[in-house]
Amino acid sequence: MPVRVVDTATPSSHPTSGQDANAGHPSPPSCSLLSAGRCYAGTQNVSTIQKEEAWKVNVRINDCDLEQGYLCGTMEAVNVPLADTPVVTFWEGEIVDAKNYTFFTGKWEASPEDDIRHWSKFPSFTPLLSQIETDGGKSVDFSNYAYIFMRWKEQYFVNVGVDCGLTIAGFYYVCFSCSDGSISGYYYDPNSSPFQKLELKCTNEKDSGFTFSSYELQ
Amino acid sequence: MPATASGGARPEEAAASASPPSPTASYCMGTRPEELTARLAAAAGGRPVGGGGGGRGGGGGGGEEEGEHERVRTLREIKNQIIGNRTKKLQYLRLGAVPVVVAALAGPGASPAALVQAAAAAGSFACGVDDGVRAVLAAGAVAHLTRLLAHPDEKVVVDASARALRMIYQSKLAPKFDVNNNEKNMEFLLTLLNSENENVTELAANIISHSCDSTTEQLALCAAGVPQRLVNHFGGSMNLRDACLDSLTAIIRNNWEVASRFALLDHGKALRSIVALIHDRSPRTRLLACLCLIALSHASPCHFQDRQIKTKLILVLLELIEEPGHVGDDAPLALTTLIKDSVELQKQALSTNAVQKLSNHLIANSLESRRAVTILLALAELCSKLEESRSQLMSVQASTLILDALKHASVDIRVAACSCIKNISRSSKVLSAGKLSCDTFIAPLVQLLYDSSMSVQVAALGAICNIAVNLTPRKSILLQSGAVSQLVHLSKSMDPTLRLKAVWALRNIMFLLNPKDKDFILKELTLSTLSSLICDSEHFVQEQTLALVHNLVDGYVNSFNYVIGEDGMILNAISRQLNNAPAPGVCIQGMFVLANVAAGGELNKEAVMNILVPRRADRVKQSFIVNFLLSKDKQLRVATLWCVLNLIYPKCEASSVRVVRLQNAGVISQVKGMINDPCLDCKVPLCSFIY
Amino acid sequence: MFLSRIVLRDLDSIDSPAASMASSKKLVTRDEWERKLRDVKIRKEDMNRLVMNFLVTEGFVDAADKFRVESGTQPDIDLATITDRMEVKRAVQSGNVQEAIEKINDLNPTILDTNPQLYFHLQQQKLIELIRAGKINEALEFAQEELAPRGEENQVFLEEIEKTVALLVFEDIKNCPYGELLDVSQRLKTASEVNAAILTSQSHEKDPKLPSLLKMLIWTQNQLDEKAAYPRINNFSTAALEDPAI
Repeated sequence: MPVRVVDTATPSSHPTSGQDANAGHPSPPSCSLLSAGRCYAGTQNVSTIQKEEAWKVNVRINDCDLEQGYLCGTMEAVNVPLADTPVVTFWEGEIVDAKNYTFFTGKWEASPEDDIRHWSKFPSFTPLLSQIETDGGKSVDFSNYAYIFMRWKEQYFVNVGVDCGLTIAGFYYVCFSCSDGSISGYYYDPNSSPFQKLELKCTNEKDSGFTFSSYELQ
Repeated sequence: MPATASGGARPEEAAASASPPSPTASYCMGTRPEELTARLAAAAGGRPVGGGGGGRGGGGGGGEEEGEHERVRTLREIKNQIIGNRTKKLQYLRLGAVPVVVAALAGPGASPAALVQAAAAAGSFACGVDDGVRAVLAAGAVAHLTRLLAHPDEKVVVDASARALRMIYQSKLAPKFDVNNNEKNMEFLLTLLNSENENVTELAANIISHSCDSTTEQLALCAAGVPQRLVNHFGGSMNLRDACLDSLTAIIRNNWEVASRFALLDHGKALRSIVALIHDRSPRTRLLACLCLIALSHASPCHFQDRQIKTKLILVLLELIEEPGHVGDDAPLALTTLIKDSVELQKQALSTNAVQKLSNHLIANSLESRRAVTILLALAELCSKLEESRSQLMSVQASTLILDALKHASVDIRVAACSCIKNISRSSKVLSAGKLSCDTFIAPLVQLLYDSSMSVQVAALGAICNIAVNLTPRKSILLQSGAVSQLVHLSKSMDPTLRLKAVWALRNIMFLLNPKDKDFILKELTLSTLSSLICDSEHFVQEQTLALVHNLVDGYVNSFNYVIGEDGMILNAISRQLNNAPAPGVCIQGMFVLANVAAGGELNKEAVMNILVPRRADRVKQSFIVNFLLSKDKQLRVATLWCVLNLIYPKCEASSVRVVRLQNAGVISQVKGMINDPCLDCKVPLCSFIY
Repeated sequence: MFLSRIVLRDLDSIDSPAASMASSKKLVTRDEWERKLRDVKIRKEDMNRLVMNFLVTEGFVDAADKFRVESGTQPDIDLATITDRMEVKRAVQSGNVQEAIEKINDLNPTILDTNPQLYFHLQQQKLIELIRAGKINEALEFAQEELAPRGEENQVFLEEIEKTVALLVFEDIKNCPYGELLDVSQRLKTASEVNAAILTSQSHEKDPKLPSLLKMLIWTQNQLDEKAAYPRINNFSTAALEDPAI
């Protein structure tokens, strides 16, 4: 993958630190299309019974650390009603890797049933369902699966106050496709309308190829 | 004659100094260094040294005994003047007093009293003044003092000699005591170690701490049973125990074999006795025991898996910070060494409120102190990995102190403060929040790029490198701060570290930067500097420069003109580097540059093609690209693959021509073979592009 | 620490339902308390060693010697060294600083070389004594030649020197803002610093154990006050138990 956020103090100790309880557990595949600097654009369907509605959404990945199952980034909603500017939020994500995180959220008011109900909306999840029912997904080889499952939880509004009329109480169930860099997701908040669908496509794909950026911390 | 005020001697001082041996002496002693030195030289029968010409008091009269008395008094007076007093030491050094004092140790008929005073004076000359150590060594003091350790019946002489030698061996300038190739030396050391006199055993321990720094020496001492003997002395006085702990640490440090043998020594009893000492009443002993255990755990982690002990070490060290003096100053350093590189231990330290406690001490202590430096370094270490540490440190009052520290007069404080900020900002979360990307932090950091101390410049570059990554939607303040021109300046430095970090910072600034600002930076940097940096003598610099270029050309159509333009200066440089098959990091970044260029129009793709498969007759040399695709390095395979994919995308007439060229060069078959690549990141794009 | 742990543990085991019902605090009667105290075995030798430690550290050499003979407790230090130490201390206390410096150097020449702060304080004391004696010229000269270089080496020292030299500026020294430097307490402060440094050089702890035990007792009682009513010791010179206020 093009982006390294290398720990210069410990160049080689990271993957084999021995301190990790589950060292050796295969992480999801590193994916050049899911890495810092990647941008995605698409929509979030916010339709209610009353009316059909969708926001334009831009997402940028700021960091992705498969070893720790961590990623973060920003999400920008463009045509939000009642807001004069696009609303940007900062979110942090958990990568389901059976090492750092499992399919079961265990917080954010999501029950195991909620989890399965949402994950099951992704076709790529269906082949895993039986394994998850037997051992919770412990035996899934994520390193060889071309989809990455994640939860994205928005932490704060970047450019507006909390009184902007939007809530970030919920979180997203997210499925990323390594083959084309597309993202689909469902927003879950018991107090919002259910199954708001998020659909994003990688925008680093130009007419004539894919481009890459990277940074490296010291 | 009575001393005059201009000579620096005061009546009561002269009276006091005259009192012990013979208050009724027929003459009054001058106490000016010139006089004393001259008199001592005269008493030794040599010629007077230095410029104190006229003041030779005493003179001839009296017998042997009186002469000896005078010698003792002179030596004692010199000793009393120089102890603790740097200025006086330097003054006597200039007068050439050291050889005369040391000569007093050599005299065969010297009285014990004279030997004691001379030894004490020699020891004092060796303390705190480098020139003093050199003079004492040059005068041959070590040999004389060592000989006196065997003085038959006078314990005072042995004590004084041992103390003086300890002072000498405290200095880094003192020669190593070679136990490795010298059996006699080892034997002698063991004799000292077995001595009944604690001053002498302490000396042996000090010699070991001073001299033992190679693996073979450590093994030799271990084989001679020294560790056990040192442990046996734990029952002795506090100072001896401390010296033994210190030398034990020297024997164990970084030596797996010695450390493991020690861990098993006496069925683990020796190890347990050190563990017990971390709860000793004396703070210094506690610190030294902690340091010893830290050295053990680093040298032989497998013999030191007891987590409880490490937790205890953290607690003890945090408590020791409250101690006055060196112990409190050094405790944060020991903590830093302990938790370095271990997420686990850093978490433990955090759970015992380490960040809070250290911050409180920082606030309580003045920034003047050495303690402030060591505390800042410990805080920096705590923030090197843990998000929670970073947010705790940013939320306490200490963060304003860190800002003050950036502007402090002391180099060490400035460096430590930069390390703190570097490690706080070593986090995408912190950078996304943009808390450090404000003028309050950036302005003083940029100022430090101009610092007169290079270590400060390097430290400031470290912090700026991280802060330069702009993950907020706002425009980077760094660009308006004047940092860019200084970074460009530093990228041309003679020093490779400065070059590396300056280029690194520019590379991070370039990350997802808007085209206008990229233009601005490139104008400062110039293409010729860029191409010479690509061919820098250090491959780390090459790698960062190529990463800079790959950020430059990402999403910036015009930038292709730069890269291809000016007679293809940049691409030529890249081509040269890739063909020379340098370090993997350089190849990876180079291939990402080419991948980004290949994502442009036909002209770009052709330029890249000419690098990968040159239109030349020599088919002898296989294109480096095939080797890259075969590389063990996953990232290199991925970067190369994307480059090839961009070249043959989108499907059109021109790209089919390129496919043929690549096929002829053996690239396409190689790419197709990668469908079985163990790395999904190589396999997956193939599925969507080729098949 | 040792004491408080026992007391607290024993207290927990006291079965006193009536008391706990009456108030949130446990009540421990005098009888119970004394019975519990009797159960705590403290070896006589340990008590004696505590006393000896106090006498040695504080430098009561005659008392220490008598106590040695009477109790058979061996001091952990050569009693002769106490005499030397006390002479040094006395010299400082009576203002003979140079004498003190020379005696320290005779005792162990490494003390002042490795303890710049102590050396500086002795030099400072010497300056104070010169000023006290009205030897203004000598004082000025001494400050310039001996102390000024120390100030160049250390910022904190420099400030101290400035304060001390300020004494020379004031006609009426008693009204000088730093007049307290001339107090006997300043001599005592320096003397106790000297005492501590010598003890440390002799591998001896610089503070006696008894006062810290006493502090511990006070701390423990204060902790215990929050949990229980019990016979307290309020007068530490008699150590009499006083009935708990109910």
